[in-house]
Amino acid sequence: MAGDSEPESEVFELTDFTTASEWERFISRVEEVLNDWKLIGNSLGKPLEKGIYTSGTWEEKSDEILFADFKFSITHHYLVQESTDKEGNDEMLEDAIPQSMQDLLCMNNDFPPRAHCLVRWYGLREFVVIAPAANSDAVLSESKCNLLLSSVSIALGNTGCQVPLFVQIHHKWRRMYVGECQGPGVRTDFEMVHLRKVPNQYTHLSGLLDIFKSKIGCPLTPLPPVSITIRFTYVLQDWQQYFWPQQPPDIDALVGGEVGGLEFGKLPFGACEDPISELHLATTWPHLTEGIIVDNDVYSDLDPIQAPHWSVRVRKADNPQCLLGDFVTEFFKVCRRKESADEILGRSTFEEEGREITDITHALSKLTEPAPVPIHKLSVSNMVHTAKKKIRKHRGIEESPLNNDVLNTILLYLFPDAASEKPLDGTSSADNNPSSESEEYNLYNQFKSAPSDSLTYKLALCLCMINFYHGGLKGVAHLWQEFVLEMRFRWENNFLIPGLASGPPDLRCCLLHQKLQMLNCCIERKKARDEGRKTSTSNNVTNTYPGDAGKHGDQLGPDNLKDVDKEKGEVGKSWDSWSDSEEEFFECLSDTEELKGNGQESGKKGGLKEMANLKPEGRLHQHGKLTLLHNGEPLYIPVTQEPAPMTEDLLEEQSEVLAKLGTSAEGAHLRARMQSACLLSDMESFKAANPGCSLEDFVRWYSPRDYIEEEVIDEKGNTVLKGELSARMKIPSNMWVEAWETAKPIPARRQRRLFDDTREAEKVLHYLAIQKPADLARHLLPCVIHAAVLKVKEEENLENISSVKKIIKQIISHSSKVLHFPNPEDKKLEEIIHQITNVEALIARARSLKAKFGTEKCEQEEEKEDLERFVNCLLEQPEVVVAGAGRGHAGRIIHKLFVNAQRLTESSDEAATMSPPEEELKRMGSLEERRQNSVSDFPPPAGRELILRTTVPRPAPYSRALPQRMYSVLTKEDFRLAGAFSSDTSFF
Amino acid sequence: MDEDVLTTLKILIIGESGVGKSSLLLRFTDDTFDPELAATIGVDFKVKTISVDGNKAKLAIWDTAGQERFRTLTPSYYRGAQGVILVYDVTRRDTFVKLDNWLNELETYCTRNDIVNMLVGNKIDKENREVDRSEGLKFARKHSMLFIEASAKTCDGVQCAFEELVEKIIQTPGLWESENQNKGVKLSHREEGHGGGACGGYCSVL
Repeated sequence: MAGDSEPESEVFELTDFTTASEWERFISRVEEVLNDWKLIGNSLGKPLEKGIYTSGTWEEKSDEILFADFKFSITHHYLVQESTDKEGNDEMLEDAIPQSMQDLLCMNNDFPPRAHCLVRWYGLREFVVIAPAANSDAVLSESKCNLLLSSVSIALGNTGCQVPLFVQIHHKWRRMYVGECQGPGVRTDFEMVHLRKVPNQYTHLSGLLDIFKSKIGCPLTPLPPVSITIRFTYVLQDWQQYFWPQQPPDIDALVGGEVGGLEFGKLPFGACEDPISELHLATTWPHLTEGIIVDNDVYSDLDPIQAPHWSVRVRKADNPQCLLGDFVTEFFKVCRRKESADEILGRSTFEEEGREITDITHALSKLTEPAPVPIHKLSVSNMVHTAKKKIRKHRGIEESPLNNDVLNTILLYLFPDAASEKPLDGTSSADNNPSSESEEYNLYNQFKSAPSDSLTYKLALCLCMINFYHGGLKGVAHLWQEFVLEMRFRWENNFLIPGLASGPPDLRCCLLHQKLQMLNCCIERKKARDEGRKTSTSNNVTNTYPGDAGKHGDQLGPDNLKDVDKEKGEVGKSWDSWSDSEEEFFECLSDTEELKGNGQESGKKGGLKEMANLKPEGRLHQHGKLTLLHNGEPLYIPVTQEPAPMTEDLLEEQSEVLAKLGTSAEGAHLRARMQSACLLSDMESFKAANPGCSLEDFVRWYSPRDYIEEEVIDEKGNTVLKGELSARMKIPSNMWVEAWETAKPIPARRQRRLFDDTREAEKVLHYLAIQKPADLARHLLPCVIHAAVLKVKEEENLENISSVKKIIKQIISHSSKVLHFPNPEDKKLEEIIHQITNVEALIARARSLKAKFGTEKCEQEEEKEDLERFVNCLLEQPEVVVAGAGRGHAGRIIHKLFVNAQRLTESSDEAATMSPPEEELKRMGSLEERRQNSVSDFPPPAGRELILRTTVPRPAPYSRALPQRMYSVLTKEDFRLAGAFSSDTSFF
Repeated sequence: MDEDVLTTLKILIIGESGVGKSSLLLRFTDDTFDPELAATIGVDFKVKTISVDGNKAKLAIWDTAGQERFRTLTPSYYRGAQGVILVYDVTRRDTFVKLDNWLNELETYCTRNDIVNMLVGNKIDKENREVDRSEGLKFARKHSMLFIEASAKTCDGVQCAFEELVEKIIQTPGLWESENQNKGVKLSHREEGHGGGACGGYCSVL
């Protein structure tokens, strides 16, 4: 394998790793990782900018290494920096001390608000940590700790890595790290002390200075000056003077007559508890020199009011309970319930439909009685009553899930037409809804929900409300049953469903909305048919027309209503006989015109010959100036059947059927045939309206471009228009010709219905009846999310928080992506709801803070603006600088907040003086107490942090002067010293 | 057979009657031209798999009838389409003038708003041209559509039109990806709780 040259020397230099110990392997693995990550050598970065630790991005890289069978994770944490060109530094490299050692002294990034603890303690911009991989594992024994540390030392030495390397020891929660950093001829040891109780002598500056100095053990006298940075943190927990204003909505008000149904359209909003739990004030003395300040166990110069630098952060309550979020979440939970409505309510309430129908047919017979005006009075309470009776019958003595009042209020809200006497026109009164042009109104389009003034949307809100306040799942099932009963009642009694746009189902809305629209289409047609039948019987016209009475005029071709007016349209007699009931649909024909037309018509008719003996039937209006090619009669556009409305599931079915026919010629033919029903029906209507017509006539109306007219010069030399069918229409036995030949002159109303409204209505009603509460919730969730987004938007408008605006936009685009596809994943839905809840909490926080800082009470415009900006910053940034520290406007408010809180605790302290004297003594003896007495405006600091820094030669006077640093933090139950002591390894 | 197909796209062809929608489709799918193609009734349907930039896409193309009367029927098929080919006849100005109506129709009935539209001026082989190329171009630019002139008879531009459309759709990932994902089985991979311990975690103030 190897080349022939010098094989012997290679053999001679053979190295044997087979006997390497676990320890050696561990070290080499560490070295390998350091090499992989290219952490070798010194790469001096730029000096650190102020605040870069907060504004910059931190990243980390991880790997796993084994020591025997113990798993460690090794992680490189670093501040992302633009790569610096190293050329300039080349000369310096030899002598320069490692970057990390220099960072120890940098004062630009003390106390970063959000950073790894080692960054806070040592001010490092990058470091590597080796820690037990499992959270529960720990390196406890001293020998093991030392072993690890020496591994680190060896690895650093072998590789020449100048990035500090730490090992985590003891239990993880103690955050104990020891580490080392090596450079050419220099070394820094990172050491740490962590105690539960604070030794008394270390609670103040002078004590800590003593430790620092003794630790350095500096041989020089006098000692170079030590720079001191101090930060005291005060915590404010008592906001007692600011009572959290959010109150749970008054449930009773929902049913109490006056506010009534209106409340059902509104969503609750806000946090139930104060979403801001604490305020932390950090007072910093950024640069002190030893000697100018006194802080010892009896006296302190450190008065927070005098601190040159203040910053504040707020602690947000973790997941505060938010009404809107809960509301939507609870509704979402319904999606996961498996029970059917019947299982929830007891036994089937639909099984006795038959008997119920007999009741309803009574109502029907009343309506069909020949009364001049049918009384549109629908008593909701009657309906409710019967439905309730039925449910109760099945479930015995049990209370029904919704009480009568609530149910009535909801039904009135959903079906406002039931209460009022005004005629049912199927359109809801859009009172204070956003105009249909606005972006908000069209949100349903993106969410595939339903318009915010629609019945579907309202139903979603009601079910949500019921689920939350009135009876949960049972209530939902109950209301749904009532709703389905109401739908059936309306179908059977020809009452249009309110709150739905008329016309075919809007495919941009949710399926349930489409189904309801479909039902409305059915009701509309049935109603038109029934009324047509009723009037024709009352008019004593012999023939009754069970067929569909297509009611909407087709406005085809170049003609329009104006033409008709000009031409004084003529109307066939039989059309006239049934048109009076329908005239509301055909405004184009005024009564006088009709009369005139009739006169002319009857006169002309006598002279007609051949097949034109047939009476024309089902004419809509005249088609411009066109006349029939054979007999010169005006060409009439017939009344046609409306195409069948379709919901998206039906459509899907149909296109699947059509697609399944394949792409072969036969398939295409079959497909055309299946769809030719409409064409055939139109042809029949056309034939009926235009006796003596031909296919050419039909084509001129139906597909004008397929009738080609050319100017030709006839024998006499005149130019005449000569027309003929297009080539494709002349193909022998093409589908159009075929259909034309089979078509009989039958007006639309006597044709077989293209759309069987009875069947479709029953299908819809059945579909509605079998929906489980879970299905229902899935159908309506988009509406609920839609409503929640609108609510959040509305609330945000009051507060005007820019970050929230951005988040809301994101939520909208995110949810429109998720909701547009069928069956969105639960996880994604949860995410959306979570986002909405977060925004709600954010707004609640903003309100809470505004109340606390009294932005509203602020009189001066400028100050108010500043304060508002400050409050907004508090929401968005981890820590906010208080301009002017304790003397600024915000600072004074904060000061006052603390003073007030202090007064309250003092008064409660007085009350506590009755406690046992021993304890009292103890308390008096404690340092905390003494401090409190001296500085009464503020409580004792919850945390004291100190950074001591200096540059001294170590260990010998002739060693290099190197950075030394000690950080200490002292809280109630935690004391930590983190020292980084550098020493010269060449001259000692 | 469909294993290497990246996605199935729904494409719709619309436009006035007699502009040559079915002919364009026939040229594309079967590479033939039939001067005597019967007028479409309702909608027709064809499938073709094409490869664009190495991505195979199966096209389900719905051809619609242009007659006004059928227009009440066909919008139902607009649902879920990712691409629309809007055809006019360069020799009949009226078919060009009506384009606005068709765009309105699209806007009303399409269930999504990121759909890719292409304008095709057909029958450029004929001599009695009434609509200039620049007019078509202008219209397409105004409504941010793709534009091409073609002839189903001579085959000019037909293949190119479909390929461009598909390429554009594939470049618009939101248009087809998520639908595709929903079909496949997806294992939920919840991110592990981040930095759980007191250690690696980032500490705040105290």
